[in-house]
Amino acid sequence: MDTDTSFAFPRRQFLKRCGLGVGALALTDMLAGQSATAGPATHFPARARHVIHIFLNGGMSQVDTFDPKPELTRRAGQMLPFDNLQTERKTGVALPSPFAFQQHGECGMPISDLFPRVAECADDLAVIRSMYAELPSHEMMLMLMNTGHSRLVRPSFGSWLTWGMGTENQNLPGFVALCPGGLPVAGAGNWRSAFLPGSYQGTLVDTAHSDPTKLIRHIRNKRLSESDQLAQLEILQALNARHLARRPHEADLEARIQSFDLAYRMQMEATDAFDTNQEPEHILKLYGEGTQNRQLLLARRLVERGVRYVQVWHGAGQPWDSHSNIKDTHRHVANQCDQGIAGLIKDLKQRGLLSKTLILCSGEFGRTPSVEMGQNGSGASQGRDHNHWGFSLWMAGGGIKGGTIYGATDEFGFKAVENPVSVHDLHATMLHLLGFDHERLTYRYAGRDYRLTDLSGQVVSDVIA
Amino acid sequence: MKTCRALTSRTTLRIAIPLCLAAGLCGSYAMANDISFSSDVRPILAEYCVQCHGPDEEQRRADLRLDIADERTTAAIVPGDPDASELMHRLTTSDPDMQMPPAEMQKRPTEQQIEILRRWIAEGAEFERHWSYQPIRRPEVPTPTGAASTDIDRFIVAALEKNGLTLAPRLDRRRLIRRATFDLIGLPPSHAEVEAFVNDAASDNEAFAQVIDRLLQSPRYGERWGRHWLDIARYADTHGGSAIGFKRFPFSYTYRDYVIGSFNEDLPYDEFVLQQLAADQLDLPANDPALAALGFLTVGMQFRSVHDLIDDQIDVITRGLMGVTVACARCHDHKFDQIPTTDYYALYATLASSESPDDLPVLGEPPLTEQLRNYQGQLEKRQTIYRDMARDQMEVMRSRLRSQVGLYLTDLARGVPEQDLSAAFLSYRTDDVRPVVLHRWRIYLSTLSEQDPVFFAWVRLQDTPADQFRDACEQLVQTLKAENGDPEKFKDMHKMSVEAPKWNPRVLSALEDARPASLIELAEVYGRLFADVHLAWLTALHEASLEATPAVDILTDEDPRHAEINSAINQQLRRHLYETGTPTDVPDEVAARLLNRTVKDNLSGKRGTIHNLHLNSPGSPPRGMVLKESEAPPETRVFLRGNPLSRGEPVEARFLTAVAPYGTKPFADGKRRRGLAEAIIDPENPLTRRVIVNWVWRHHFGLGLVRTPDDLGTRGTPPTHPKLLDHLAMAFADDGWSIKKLHRRIMLSDVYQQASVENTKARQRDAENRLLWRMPRKRLEMESMRDALLAVSGELDTTSMGGRPFDLETVPVVPRRSVYAFINRDIISSLLSTFDGADPTSCTVKRPDTTVPQQTLYVLNSAFIQDRAATVARLAIDAAAADADRVEWLYQRIYLRQPEQEELDLAVAFVTRPQPSGDTADRNATNDDSTGATAGTGDEAGTDRWAQLAHAMLASNEFIFLD
Repeated sequence: MDTDTSFAFPRRQFLKRCGLGVGALALTDMLAGQSATAGPATHFPARARHVIHIFLNGGMSQVDTFDPKPELTRRAGQMLPFDNLQTERKTGVALPSPFAFQQHGECGMPISDLFPRVAECADDLAVIRSMYAELPSHEMMLMLMNTGHSRLVRPSFGSWLTWGMGTENQNLPGFVALCPGGLPVAGAGNWRSAFLPGSYQGTLVDTAHSDPTKLIRHIRNKRLSESDQLAQLEILQALNARHLARRPHEADLEARIQSFDLAYRMQMEATDAFDTNQEPEHILKLYGEGTQNRQLLLARRLVERGVRYVQVWHGAGQPWDSHSNIKDTHRHVANQCDQGIAGLIKDLKQRGLLSKTLILCSGEFGRTPSVEMGQNGSGASQGRDHNHWGFSLWMAGGGIKGGTIYGATDEFGFKAVENPVSVHDLHATMLHLLGFDHERLTYRYAGRDYRLTDLSGQVVSDVIA
Repeated sequence: MKTCRALTSRTTLRIAIPLCLAAGLCGSYAMANDISFSSDVRPILAEYCVQCHGPDEEQRRADLRLDIADERTTAAIVPGDPDASELMHRLTTSDPDMQMPPAEMQKRPTEQQIEILRRWIAEGAEFERHWSYQPIRRPEVPTPTGAASTDIDRFIVAALEKNGLTLAPRLDRRRLIRRATFDLIGLPPSHAEVEAFVNDAASDNEAFAQVIDRLLQSPRYGERWGRHWLDIARYADTHGGSAIGFKRFPFSYTYRDYVIGSFNEDLPYDEFVLQQLAADQLDLPANDPALAALGFLTVGMQFRSVHDLIDDQIDVITRGLMGVTVACARCHDHKFDQIPTTDYYALYATLASSESPDDLPVLGEPPLTEQLRNYQGQLEKRQTIYRDMARDQMEVMRSRLRSQVGLYLTDLARGVPEQDLSAAFLSYRTDDVRPVVLHRWRIYLSTLSEQDPVFFAWVRLQDTPADQFRDACEQLVQTLKAENGDPEKFKDMHKMSVEAPKWNPRVLSALEDARPASLIELAEVYGRLFADVHLAWLTALHEASLEATPAVDILTDEDPRHAEINSAINQQLRRHLYETGTPTDVPDEVAARLLNRTVKDNLSGKRGTIHNLHLNSPGSPPRGMVLKESEAPPETRVFLRGNPLSRGEPVEARFLTAVAPYGTKPFADGKRRRGLAEAIIDPENPLTRRVIVNWVWRHHFGLGLVRTPDDLGTRGTPPTHPKLLDHLAMAFADDGWSIKKLHRRIMLSDVYQQASVENTKARQRDAENRLLWRMPRKRLEMESMRDALLAVSGELDTTSMGGRPFDLETVPVVPRRSVYAFINRDIISSLLSTFDGADPTSCTVKRPDTTVPQQTLYVLNSAFIQDRAATVARLAIDAAAADADRVEWLYQRIYLRQPEQEELDLAVAFVTRPQPSGDTADRNATNDDSTGATAGTGDEAGTDRWAQLAHAMLASNEFIFLD
């Protein structure tokens, strides 16, 4: 076992975190003379026990979705009075949103017609309009959003959480990243465990496939019939038992023996978990068709089975990166996921899971309210550049106060000016909902106690119910 | 196992106390009942007190230090009198205002720990220098009463005896050779090797020594131990962190091969370290293969920011080679160890003066084959295409920068703050301000004096308030005009003998005309003037070039039409645009990053073709990933709080003060890395040898004598056998820093050759096996597991060593040793991450050790293991006809022993079991990524049964664990 880490959790949690199965736990409990009932090692009672992070990678435009700015229409075509708000590329005059806003829900939350179905859930959402990040660079802000550091190699949120809370289902990975068709920008760095043990890194599942046996590697033996595999497992465990008999009380041998039974069960369970075809018609209808909607349904199936952290990426590369023609490009990607996101919220709610599942829907930054200048210096692109100065995201479920709008950008939607929220603040708030004091969730590595929020982060209590 | 300290902090006392007592008994074995400051007291103070009462001056409270004794310490600690000591009072009081550590720290020492502090104070409260910073001394070898064959055993047995324990019995030869072979070469022994050793008539020691020597001679040894080293070196074949896709190093493999070769040659460790840090500074021939050693510094993660890149190098050097954690001192003095930020930046200065050259040296003398010639031709062609475009585009950009002086001066006049230039990521258009150029102007202008004939107005007026600006400027112009005297003196601009007056007349008249009312307006005046100067110069060059054609009359050099060129006044102005080192004279390597986005993208496309040639051309010769150090490096200053824009005191390139007081002399310019390497391998360095002998020990025993191998500092755990550690460090020096001799020393000991059997009594006393009352059981690492599977199936290909990496997951399988597999930082192979492979993003001193179901899924279902099983099963079928003989053959091949009767029966029953009716294996399922090894003829089901049996044996604990 590890020696240079000194997380102060009970032994059982420690073993659990090492990925030892329940069988091995029983054994170690026997050794320790304890019974096998203990809650998760949170600092205080958790409001949420699972996270689904819907990642609109590339960057969702705030002024076209959750942060209406009529001023842009009034000033259409005029230069905006900004100095030094540098973004990746040169931008020019105000570009009014091509999308119509309407008020939704009892709270009267304005949401654009990009998300008509999500808008039906307005009373469940807490929108933060005053997010800000550090730089207008995709990969660095993906790192910031996922690991809390834009440049250095740090564990991702999902790794911290599965390490801190353990998993509820030993037969499935605790941290799953769903992404159809390839890798997002910065690849596996988005779900890396860095200095936390490798078992806490996210397991990537390519949701372009719909055959459940193709989603997780080695989940099925393609050569053996079920009865052959059972017979094989039997002789294997007989060999192991003989080996163990001469080496009594060896926890590591015993743990591996247990893991064969676990893996065998996991073959069944994982295949089942990833099989959305088992869903009844009305649920399939609720989520809608298409890869996005199917993977959102998959996220629910995973959370339902105890997976701790599910990240749902829109797709490979940066699908939301609408540098040109935002009217069509944003419409296209929003259409792909609107129904699934709304379906997820409604479905979790009807199953009583929403209250313990925290949904975060965000990109790595937002987009400029001004039009991006093309190579020839004109604004004919009708697109928007990256914008880290101010952007919107929303959360729902697990302890979130629905129908909330928090913070504000300036009159054009460029920069967060009222109650600005940093990514560290966001992480601190999420950890708080998950039962952790972000200043105390630390891991000692290379002589230092590291935490997700580095040296800052304040819980945004106004979004908490 | 966890340390007892960590366990007790919040867990139930029921478990904690017995463990803690056990550890307490064996912690300082030398004098079981005395309190040792280093092993007992310092860890407690470090955990609870030193963060606020330690070396970090900024954080220090109450001006009190508890890491060392100084004149203020007596305020808290009265030696010999715990009750009079404020420290004890603060620890035990229930008054929340007085209590230490304060409530917000959210941790408290246990009662046992407070008791240890009390006893320590009662015994005189003596502070010692932290153990690892004390010089390595040759300790006296103890004389235990029990048997002990070697000096190593005498240390181990003496400590065991103090705790009433003994070594486990000797392991039988059959299993010992398996342990030793995996340990040294990462592969199983062959059946013949086992039998030869088992039947060797020589004494145990003699016979085993022969086995060790044979294994150390095997080239497979370097492949095994080289891989251990590559963990430390955070070796990978890609840059890491790239936005889209990934970028490969074409020559990372040369470092990997250098490491493997060095272990095989038993290159003395001091030499090995020296080459890895400074091979370019050892006067080696320009193509010396040892230049590849510098990969230690260059194969790390390619961070965008140079500061992060250097941070990673500092980390791998300090944590990897010396077991100290220096990286925390990037932002503040180390909170626990004596490492101030000035030490960090002294190392920063050492490394920041080096860069990777564009052209990497070819190693050795590659034979001039057709492939090589082809590669050279291609390279020449692609480099020319690249250089042609680069040269012209950079010149275009520089030319534009000369027309854009106003743009930059205006930004400076506006007070645009300094930016950190290391993380450049913006995509530029022609009219964008380049922060690098802005910075160059900022620095340049700050070096000019009030006497500068051109920029005098800028220097003198830059702090003038706006309401006085215009008047001040006009007055200045009048005064200086008067100083210049009669303009007649310098009106003949075409005459080369005419000198410019003191103050540039063109600047004066531009100011007189424009009457700037602010620094911004002044910037614009300069901007217009310089744009004119630049354009006029280009025109003059154009015209002068036309004169050169024979069709026109030759002009004399002092023709009035050459006024533009000859004018000393214009030359004065042009100096600021064209002289080497001026802000717009951007060197190529900087200019390459400032080009417009489209140009930059195209240029990197051309560079990419060169990169691809290095990477993929069959003739591309090996090159070393070297560094080049500047002879005249710029000054380095401390970055306050780690911020490169906030510079503190200047630092010299030198070694860590506290670690090695002998090494405080600055390193020589141009050879700073060599200076650093020499300080690390200095015989007086107290860390280097302790770290390396601990490293070798750890790979033999699974655990080090120091359980925190990358932290020998105050927060690490003290050694289980401090004197043995020093004994080994001394012996290592006596042996000329030979790693192979160290293996021999360790493996010939009784403690290495003991069995891994359970001993309940010993476990109760020492649950963590700190005293080594048995050999810890080890599981095969990822590489050994894969290689062993290939070895057993007879497929392992060891005909060639080194070279470009192969893809671990490609089909058909490449049966080479795993150390040669491609390592991608961006997309970690699932085999590596599932089986606890080293994380190549930073120096891995210790791999994690997990048991997760994904590992088992791989072992149960992967095509790889099933193909190996099928192959070995076919060998069994070919070797014997009878079922029992085949089982016997498989047992010898896989478990290296004979089956027992029950095992034989079990196996035969398995292969002859009746097929359940109606059960058809979906063996023919599509998309199986196998090599199709299960295909067979005739008695196909029978063949499959044997494959299934072999598979079960390969998956079993007996194969995966070492006794």
